[in-house]
Amino acid sequence: MLSAELSTTLQDIAQTLGLESDQGKALSQFLAKGFPTSKWEEWKYTSLKDFNGIDRNWFPKGNSNLPVSADWAELIIRSSDAYLSIDKASSNDGIEVLSFDEFVQKCPEFQMIWANKNPILDQNSLYDLNVALCPQHTVIWIKKDVEIAQAILHQYQVNSTEKASSVQSRLLIYVEEGAKASLIEQQTSTGSADILSNFVQEIFVSKGAQFTYLKDQDFQQGVSHIDHTFIYQAEGSQVDTFTFSLNASLIRNNLHFYIDGPQVVSNLNGLYVPGENQLMDSHTVVDHRMPHAESNELYKGVLMGNATGVFNGKIFVRQDAQKTNAFQSCRNVLASTRATMNTKPQLEIWADDVKCSHGTTTGQLNEEALFYMRSRGISLAAARTLLLLAFVQEVINKVEHPVLRESLTEKIIAKIQQSVDLSN
Amino acid sequence: MLSIKNLHASIGEKEILRGIDLEVKAGEVHAIMGPNGSGKSTLASVLAGREDYEVTEGTVQFLGKDLLDLAPEARAAEGIFLAFQYPVEIPGVSTTNFLKSAVNEIRKYRGEDPMDAVQFLKMFKEKMAYVNIDQSLLSRALNEGFSGGEKKRNEIFQMAVLDPKLAILDETDSGLDIDALRIVAEGVNKLKSPNNATIVVTHYQRLLDYIVPDYVHVLYKGRIVKSGTKELALELEERGYDWIKSEVD
Ligand SMILES: Nc1ncnc2c1ncn2[C@@H]1O[C@H](COP(=O)(O)OP(=O)(O)O)[C@@H](O)[C@H]1O
Ligand SMILES: [Mg+2]
Repeated sequence: MLSAELSTTLQDIAQTLGLESDQGKALSQFLAKGFPTSKWEEWKYTSLKDFNGIDRNWFPKGNSNLPVSADWAELIIRSSDAYLSIDKASSNDGIEVLSFDEFVQKCPEFQMIWANKNPILDQNSLYDLNVALCPQHTVIWIKKDVEIAQAILHQYQVNSTEKASSVQSRLLIYVEEGAKASLIEQQTSTGSADILSNFVQEIFVSKGAQFTYLKDQDFQQGVSHIDHTFIYQAEGSQVDTFTFSLNASLIRNNLHFYIDGPQVVSNLNGLYVPGENQLMDSHTVVDHRMPHAESNELYKGVLMGNATGVFNGKIFVRQDAQKTNAFQSCRNVLASTRATMNTKPQLEIWADDVKCSHGTTTGQLNEEALFYMRSRGISLAAARTLLLLAFVQEVINKVEHPVLRESLTEKIIAKIQQSVDLSN
Repeated sequence: MLSIKNLHASIGEKEILRGIDLEVKAGEVHAIMGPNGSGKSTLASVLAGREDYEVTEGTVQFLGKDLLDLAPEARAAEGIFLAFQYPVEIPGVSTTNFLKSAVNEIRKYRGEDPMDAVQFLKMFKEKMAYVNIDQSLLSRALNEGFSGGEKKRNEIFQMAVLDPKLAILDETDSGLDIDALRIVAEGVNKLKSPNNATIVVTHYQRLLDYIVPDYVHVLYKGRIVKSGTKELALELEERGYDWIKSEVD
């Protein structure tokens, strides 16, 4: 439950927003629930109980009580040699970045899609908080049949103030029929103050479109990042997600796939490497609603120091989703005796003609393998690093972009090496 | 080169080596034979530095150093090589990457400069000829899905690359057909020189037709109960281990 003080502050904000407005209503819903604690089934290992007592700067860049739109949501889209700049892209009309209001004016047919989208499962209180405090989506609109060869770079950066603050951002991506694009999102922070970063993404991938979405989550210690990604896939589309969780005090990723058409392919890849005083929680849902679709999920974790990891993977195969192939695998290495990992695969199948499999493992590095390597002259630290690197490489190698593959590998090796050296 | 004196080792409460004495000089080949469970692999593991075993008594000197004081990786750098009875799978690490790490770590230990990719390529090519091993095997994850023969051949390839002063081959013959056995033995023979020594651990005398030992020792219940020349191996082949057991028990 929220503390009395925080409750009063947020009630005042709700008044200002208008109790009957969508935002005001969302805030009232949040007020009724508060931040999730370990008593919430889906937040068992990721309690945000302390947040219920922290008054934050709820509008870090606004100077009134009224939230302003995307300019403080820190959506920065920059160009870089290795990636496509949005300016360059918009000049060929294949892609636009605009506000939600502008977008629905220019693309009225989207209103129908928006109105008819499947209801969000597990609508947790943080989603309400986001709706309340972030009135405007930023939209990335990828036009029909456009193929964007280079990856689009999205820099999601949260900035600290001296006080605890909360950054609420929302991104909508609309990939039109037959389009093909990939988005690389670098999630970072500046400074090391206590920041609650609450980021909602809604992604609509139309018929026959292909979309790759890669997140590189590398925050400063002090940041708690809650990520909600909802992906709606229409017939014959393919979506590949890559979630690399490198650093933050706390990362909670909610990734939901709605398979809304037949012949859909969904590939979910994840790698988390939490270290000392870090918690990383991956909650995924693959909701097979239509037949002849395929989902492949591969999540891996290396847990160092006193880190905590959580994996909860739900696969739903609805009655209409015959001929579904759904695979899930989650493998973890505890690279320290003080680290813990909690895994929970959850399959619910209502259709009868389906192929599903899942497996989760959590273990330590093989002592036999370590001795074998040492007997060849490889030091214990190097042997550990080599084994862990080989372990994470399976996920990294699936990244197509070579520059990115290299930079991820380097960052992850550095982190593993540091922790391995410390444990000697 | 190697001098083992009154070596006792146990695992948990169980004493497995119960006073081993052994002297190995440069240029020599020693065979250690003995029935299953007599402690042959344990001796090999203790020499390589496996930490599961506790040495309770005795000393091991290797080229003037106290071997028991060194970590396994330091022993390797000093020139000890153990070809495992059961080579371990190293998922996701190819033989070549594995050996590059090993060679350069050993060079670092010895204060030498690391080798570069070109030098490695040349060296690997040269050593591949020793055991007639295929490049494709070397780029696969080490020992993962290898056949018994491939594993043993790979062990000898690693030995060729690391060029040890003392090689200990633990049942390198087991699970090999006669052709594979010959290839492995030829590899070992090519690597032999007046400056290095080999300890061949085996259960049968078959391997000793190919790798001819200077000395043969029989290990039984954690002790060397008989030593002799290669004729002893032939006698064991003929008479089995029972006569030795009855002499000792
Ligand atoms: N890790 C272990 N734990 C318990 N006993 C062991 C272990 N390793 C070996 N032993 C025991 O030690 C004895 C010697 O084993 P080993 O050295 O493997 O014999 P050999 O190689 O001569 O067949 C056997 O009785 C075996 O059961
Ligand atoms: Mg043995």
